[in-house]
Amino acid sequence: MELSTFSIGHEGREVFWNAEHFEPILFMLTFVAMAIFAYGVYRRWLMWTAIGKPEDRTDDRNERIKALLKNGLLQIKTWSDPYPGVMHGLIFFGFVVLFFGAAFDATEFHVAEPLGVPFLLGNFYLFFSFLMDLFGLAVLVGVFMALDRRYLTKPDRLGYKGEPDNRPDDAIVLLLIAGIIVTGFIIEALRISVTWQQTPWEVWSFVGWTLAKAFTGVGPEAAKVMHKWTWWIHTAFALGFIAYIPYSRLMHIITTPANYFMATRKPVGQLEPIKDFENAESFGVGTIEEFTWKQIFDSDACTRCGRCQDGCPAYLTGKPLSPKKLVQDMKEYWLEKAPGAVASRKEQLMASGESAESINPKLKALFAWLDKADKIIDKNLPKGPEPTEKAMVGEVIEIDELWACTNCMYCMENCSAAIEHVPKIIGMRQYKVLMEADFAPELQLTYRNMENNSNPWGVGAHLRGEWAKELGVKTLAEDPNVEYLFYVGCAGSFDDRGKKISVALAKILQAAGVSFGILGTEESCCGDSAMRGGNEYLYQTMAQANIEVMNGYGVKKVICTCPHGYNALKKDYPHFGGNFEVFHHTEIIADLIDKGKIKIKVPVDDVRFTYHDSCFLGRYNDVYDQPRKLIKAIPGARLVEMERNHEKSFCCGAGGARMWMEEHGDRINDARAKQAIAVGAKTIAVGCPFCLTMMSDGLKFHGKEEEIVALDLAEIIWKGMGLEEEKAPVEVCHA
Amino acid sequence: MNIVACVKQVPDTEAQIKVKGDGSGIEEGGIKWVMNPYDEFGVEEAMKLKEKLGGEVTIVSVGPARTMETIRTALAMGAEKGIQIDDPALYNADAYATAEALAAAIKGVPYDIVFCGQRAIDDDSAQVGSILAELLGIPQVTFVTKLEIDGTAVKATRPIEGAAVVVATSLPCVITATKGLNEPRYASLPGIMKAKKKPVDIKKAADIGVTGASKSKVAKFTPPPARPPGKVLCADDTPEGKAAELAKLLREEAKVI
Repeated sequence: MELSTFSIGHEGREVFWNAEHFEPILFMLTFVAMAIFAYGVYRRWLMWTAIGKPEDRTDDRNERIKALLKNGLLQIKTWSDPYPGVMHGLIFFGFVVLFFGAAFDATEFHVAEPLGVPFLLGNFYLFFSFLMDLFGLAVLVGVFMALDRRYLTKPDRLGYKGEPDNRPDDAIVLLLIAGIIVTGFIIEALRISVTWQQTPWEVWSFVGWTLAKAFTGVGPEAAKVMHKWTWWIHTAFALGFIAYIPYSRLMHIITTPANYFMATRKPVGQLEPIKDFENAESFGVGTIEEFTWKQIFDSDACTRCGRCQDGCPAYLTGKPLSPKKLVQDMKEYWLEKAPGAVASRKEQLMASGESAESINPKLKALFAWLDKADKIIDKNLPKGPEPTEKAMVGEVIEIDELWACTNCMYCMENCSAAIEHVPKIIGMRQYKVLMEADFAPELQLTYRNMENNSNPWGVGAHLRGEWAKELGVKTLAEDPNVEYLFYVGCAGSFDDRGKKISVALAKILQAAGVSFGILGTEESCCGDSAMRGGNEYLYQTMAQANIEVMNGYGVKKVICTCPHGYNALKKDYPHFGGNFEVFHHTEIIADLIDKGKIKIKVPVDDVRFTYHDSCFLGRYNDVYDQPRKLIKAIPGARLVEMERNHEKSFCCGAGGARMWMEEHGDRINDARAKQAIAVGAKTIAVGCPFCLTMMSDGLKFHGKEEEIVALDLAEIIWKGMGLEEEKAPVEVCHA
Repeated sequence: MNIVACVKQVPDTEAQIKVKGDGSGIEEGGIKWVMNPYDEFGVEEAMKLKEKLGGEVTIVSVGPARTMETIRTALAMGAEKGIQIDDPALYNADAYATAEALAAAIKGVPYDIVFCGQRAIDDDSAQVGSILAELLGIPQVTFVTKLEIDGTAVKATRPIEGAAVVVATSLPCVITATKGLNEPRYASLPGIMKAKKKPVDIKKAADIGVTGASKSKVAKFTPPPARPPGKVLCADDTPEGKAAELAKLLREEAKVI
């Protein structure tokens, strides 16, 4: 519509003002940009599908769509980190609004106006103008926040070990986005500077209106010329942006939401068991081809944001592992390997008569045509890096990186691209352990101990039930008619410190009148350390032994004090026919308190407690509240949180079989103990025997073992129940 | 190179050993059986030698049916085949009868070198390797911590009080292995799976022409006496007082100083 048709009360704007004849060229250029975009996605598609084992990630579709909307569109996960969340949100949502704005403009011009039903009028137009400027400004603010973060604030997580990891692409993308917005505002301002007298309502386009004042010195004709030029620059930027997507980090616009759609639907940390040991030819992941296509796709969804690295206990204590680096190294290796794999896959596809039958002839012709295009383009483009003959495990991913992981799940829990790091690490560990039997000697000893005595310490298996001898706890062999099996686990059975937890829990359960029994010498190690250390074969042996015994007694409900056993029994044993209702002892105790079956009588005098979230309890199983509830139930106790808590809790360093391995350099448990000391805690409450050992050792390292004590919640509660005379420290020299 | 490694199945070091009521032996129920740790050094050295020089490793063991598990463990480490001599006549065999059976079995296969552990951790006799070498009529080096082979020349290092002796001999010979020779490998899963299908010859004493007759007999097994309870030094609370009391007790009661 002409400018003259608008007036106060009938506000609006002439779409394509001063650019009336540009439309055909714009269409053509848009088509070119879209073609470049589509071709790039197609090339990437070939690479995604060329390497990797098959894996179905399309089941449970409704939930997948929900995940896509929640985290792809609404970006819930991205928000969880305030600065980058806001930064990304401003850019993303700004772009979404501007995209719809452009679509409104186009609809108005091409559809609504020709049909005689224009809608960008009046108050709606004013609101629309205001919104566009507001979100345009938002994008600009987001870009400045990003520039500041990447080039001025420079948080370590954007780099690796203090070295920044800024690539030209990062700057290009930010400048491109800024360029689109700035030129957009300039166009608007130039238009307003020419027409403002006729269109006073353009004050609603507040950025353009303000900026227009800068052009007051420019005459209308000059402004129109400048407007034309800027219009084209703006168009070039915008179309360039579209075309650039598949060739740059902007690809995450596609890959990251796609990764949310394809994210695992399994419970956190559940691992797909290796089946058929007898006939499989290889185990674990030794070459990139042995990853599934999805595990490789993950690496293309990574935006190098470094959230994973920010809480990785291995990285933060100076180990070579960074989940981000691991994923990026994998990506780089994949990009080297992919062209060769694409070529051979194409050959296979073209050569095989069978697939020619199954492929629609038109589609086949299209592929053949595209293949020709690919070849011409590849010939004329600078060649990518030559594929290196590096070993996937040992060179691309170094052995020390592989074994530094504590399986704490921080990276996966906090990744805003739904990348699954831990299963990749376990897959590669499986290769080193099962195929090459090449791994740390101390871990070899641990496995032998598990093989020979069914516990990592290697204490005689016949001693497993000893701790319970004086408590009158019956084994299921003595009395199978009990409600709960207390699956004690190795720490609770063999480790002197761990045994105290078992005793405390047994006494609590007895006092509360809970019917329970143990397996005694019939119990086996849960196998968690073997599984997470890559020894799936040993793990399954242990798991099957336990399941056989438990099923033999008809066990229905199980209590565990060790979150490692808890997690394994709960999530992984069902793979082998072990279906039990599994509880952590903090869940059971919290319930007993709720039901009034146990009373905490002994007050503590304003003692500061802090609670250390065990990974296998918190991030793996979402048990955050019950342990805290136990502390709050103690009269006089004050719960103070460490800086890193709940989903962002910091691992003690013992998970992922690390409990049994030498740790070089700064220790994770010392770092965690320091965090607890920092909040002035007098008691560090934990719910895991491994964490307990680690925290106790950490306190000793800092020389704080006299002032601060680490205790399991069962011990704390049993003491609080006040049913036992507190024994003085062993007094042997009686007068 | 044809390599033979002898292995014995023994109770795990952590196993609870109970002597039978009549003192004729130990209760075998509930015991976890493992490969004698010193024999593991022998098997590992055999594997290393094979990997370096080529050839085949044969595992030989004397023992009842359960011994098969230990032979499979050695096969999982990479040995090619096994011979198990399972005969009731040999179930309580002494070192001589065991060595005789091993020698008879080994004579039936080509061999350039024979590995044994320096001793078994159950009866601690440390004789089988030596008797075996005598019966085979070949040289022996015992307690070996380092082994070098060049052609048929053998250089074996064995520790003596505070020093080491390098013994030179030639193939064929018997080497008894001890800690320090190597770090036994952890079997790979394909190794474990393949081991299940590797050939193991099960022979009776008569098949190899021995009677299984021992030259000595264990008269009786007795468990070690129960440990007396510890003693707490209470006379004086000062470090000096405690030290004086300790010295007195060590001299007068324990009679060690």
